[in-house]
Amino acid sequence: MSSETQKILTTDGIPLEESLKKAEKKNKIKAFLLVCPLLLFLVITYVFPIGDMLFRSIDDRMVTNMLPKTYKAMEQWDGKQLPPEEVFEGFYLDYKKLVEEKTFGKLATQLNYEKNGFKSILKKLKRKITKFEEGNYKEQIMAVHKRWADVEYWRALKRRAPAYSYSKYLKGMDMYENEDGKIVQVSEDRRIHKILWVRTVEVAFFVTVFCFLMAYPIAHLLATLPMKYSNLLMICVLLPFWTSLLVRTASWMILLQQQGIVNDFFVWIGLVADDNRPEMMYNKVGTYVAMTQILLPFMVLPLYSVMKTISPSLMRAGKSLGGTPFVAFWKVYFPLTIPGIGAGCLLVFILAIGYYITPALVGGASGTLISNHIAFHMKSTLDWSFASAMGLMLLTGVLAIYWVYNKLVGVDNIKLG
Amino acid sequence: MKKLSKLLLTLTFALSITTSAFAVVVASWGGAYTESQKLGYGDPTAKKLGVPIDWVDYSGGLSEIKAQKEAGAIVWDIIDVFAMDTITGCDEGLFVEFDFDKDFPAAPDGTPASKDFFTSMPSKCAVGNILYSWNYAYNSKNVKGKPKTIKDFFNTKKFPGKRAIYKSALTNLEIALAADGIKPGKGGAKIYKALESEKGIQRALDKIKKLCTDPNGGCVFWSAGAQPPELLMSGEVVMATGWNGRFFNATVGEGAPIVQVWDGQGLDYEYFVLVKGGPNESDAKKALAMMTSTEGLAGSAKYIAYAPWRKSSIDVMKKGEPWYKDGKTNMVPHMPTAPQNTKNYFLVDPLFWADNGTEIGEKWEAMKAGL
Repeated sequence: MSSETQKILTTDGIPLEESLKKAEKKNKIKAFLLVCPLLLFLVITYVFPIGDMLFRSIDDRMVTNMLPKTYKAMEQWDGKQLPPEEVFEGFYLDYKKLVEEKTFGKLATQLNYEKNGFKSILKKLKRKITKFEEGNYKEQIMAVHKRWADVEYWRALKRRAPAYSYSKYLKGMDMYENEDGKIVQVSEDRRIHKILWVRTVEVAFFVTVFCFLMAYPIAHLLATLPMKYSNLLMICVLLPFWTSLLVRTASWMILLQQQGIVNDFFVWIGLVADDNRPEMMYNKVGTYVAMTQILLPFMVLPLYSVMKTISPSLMRAGKSLGGTPFVAFWKVYFPLTIPGIGAGCLLVFILAIGYYITPALVGGASGTLISNHIAFHMKSTLDWSFASAMGLMLLTGVLAIYWVYNKLVGVDNIKLG
Repeated sequence: MKKLSKLLLTLTFALSITTSAFAVVVASWGGAYTESQKLGYGDPTAKKLGVPIDWVDYSGGLSEIKAQKEAGAIVWDIIDVFAMDTITGCDEGLFVEFDFDKDFPAAPDGTPASKDFFTSMPSKCAVGNILYSWNYAYNSKNVKGKPKTIKDFFNTKKFPGKRAIYKSALTNLEIALAADGIKPGKGGAKIYKALESEKGIQRALDKIKKLCTDPNGGCVFWSAGAQPPELLMSGEVVMATGWNGRFFNATVGEGAPIVQVWDGQGLDYEYFVLVKGGPNESDAKKALAMMTSTEGLAGSAKYIAYAPWRKSSIDVMKKGEPWYKDGKTNMVPHMPTAPQNTKNYFLVDPLFWADNGTEIGEKWEAMKAGL
């Protein structure tokens, strides 16, 4: 049975299939044009920046191109001892060229990211390099500063040889590739990124939990009260939402500090002694309290919108079928609110993981989170590639959580309203 | 991809350019500080030059100007920056390199500009603006006795109570070593010599750690300049390091019982840089020369307790005392550079921090994490 004999034709002789396709195509184009602005918007504001970030975080061509002769000579070097004369000569020629072109500053900045201390010795070398005599460059360069005789600096130089590398990601996990090509941890007193990652996730997790515990009853109350009370309550929930973030953070500082209002009250009612006031600010307690309050509306709103749709008769039915109030709640009401819980928790968690002003102000010694560190590299050191790498690691983390959530609860179940 | 993002940035910046054409745009830190710059030398210069000067706020760092440059649409002409930023920005080719004595006017007595400024510039792109101090202060109501030296800041036996220190390692390591018995030497050279070695850094970190873990002591880390006077006033801490202008404002401006201690102070600077390829580069260069003239720099000290860079500006102030805007406060004794305040001090070394900042920063954070 061949399909050709069975083709159904329209009145003008075109096969029905094709004519349908044509009509469909028009519709498809129309639909595409309709979503086109949104698509473009997404591509421009999301896909491009993220792509640019990804590219920046692995692109290391600048250093590679600046030192071609050095890296050519370095291919033979095993990284165990100081490099041979050829490497020094190559480096001398490359660097001299950069000095003449006045682009050596960029190299100094880049190499200083890899190993601190490079900047000053490159500057010293720059001043001396014009007076170098021909031959025996190793001696001459090493005479400029004792760090040039330190093999660590040459290893650091070699690590920047590949045009594309994932070393920034390793650095984000306190690791680096040593001269044998093995991935090892940095020295113990510098392992800071791991601490920051753990701390960031911990803060975000607990803030989410606290927000959930506080928002659930509030949302329930809002959903069950008569309209005129619930509106008033809703305004109370939203009011802080409309207040500046810094104002709210500063208010918590006034309330919670050791000489603050809350502590004054505790002393007044005799709960604590005047000279033994508890510390509630500039530590984790302060961070949790302030962040929970600030992010609370993001939990209340999705929960409320879901609870609003749950008919009160369902609970009554549960109870009339013999369940205790708790059983009815647990078996009937709670499962119905899961979409709201999911949305709220994801929202709060994702917001909390990227937060930094509040923890920086109220968190004291433990107030530095990974986003502070990203901002530091964006603004102060200008190491944008490292900042991009850490930003992407953070994004990956969030996506992983989203994926786990999807596996456990199902993303289709999220309900924002 | 890069091209497209460049195009987008260009578009956004093009919009802002059109609004500020012909004016010289200066980016600075905002608040009382920008106010002092505007009143002290911004407005007079604009008047003389016949070109309006617009002040925009920014929060420091070079990321914005780098983004403007990458987008190919620079909107700032002059930026008020930290020393470290002048070095990094100069190396990156963001700023104009000066021919110092040619680009900046001599003092009234004919001393060339390079001799009239307190110290040499950290990079060829920088011109000094103000000197300020990282010193410490205490609330005389909450402290028994009178702390006088930097050692007293670490002496929790004699002066029990919490201390507020800056959130990052900058200047904390220096004062720790100064308090630990290292004589700063000329401009703090000996302190930085000690910090060149791992041992020196460890020694400083241990000193801070000891202070912060001491049951009689303890640390609060501040990040915004307004915090130290606030923490002292609320009684949250008994002593705090901070910027002298903020303490001055609390004492003279608001009458708070805050006393500054100048021993072991760190002198730090603010600089102006001229953006390479800025929208109005030639006017900006002229404006910059006028703003950093003897009269110009002295002008800003009328409104804030930061010292002008030029020695000749101090002479202008001396002749004009009481110089402060309230008409009754003598300003020269409040200057970080006043002789009685600079008996024991160090100059914050921007090259050292540009060189070692990130690694020390990591060690600092690791130390803080263990508190």
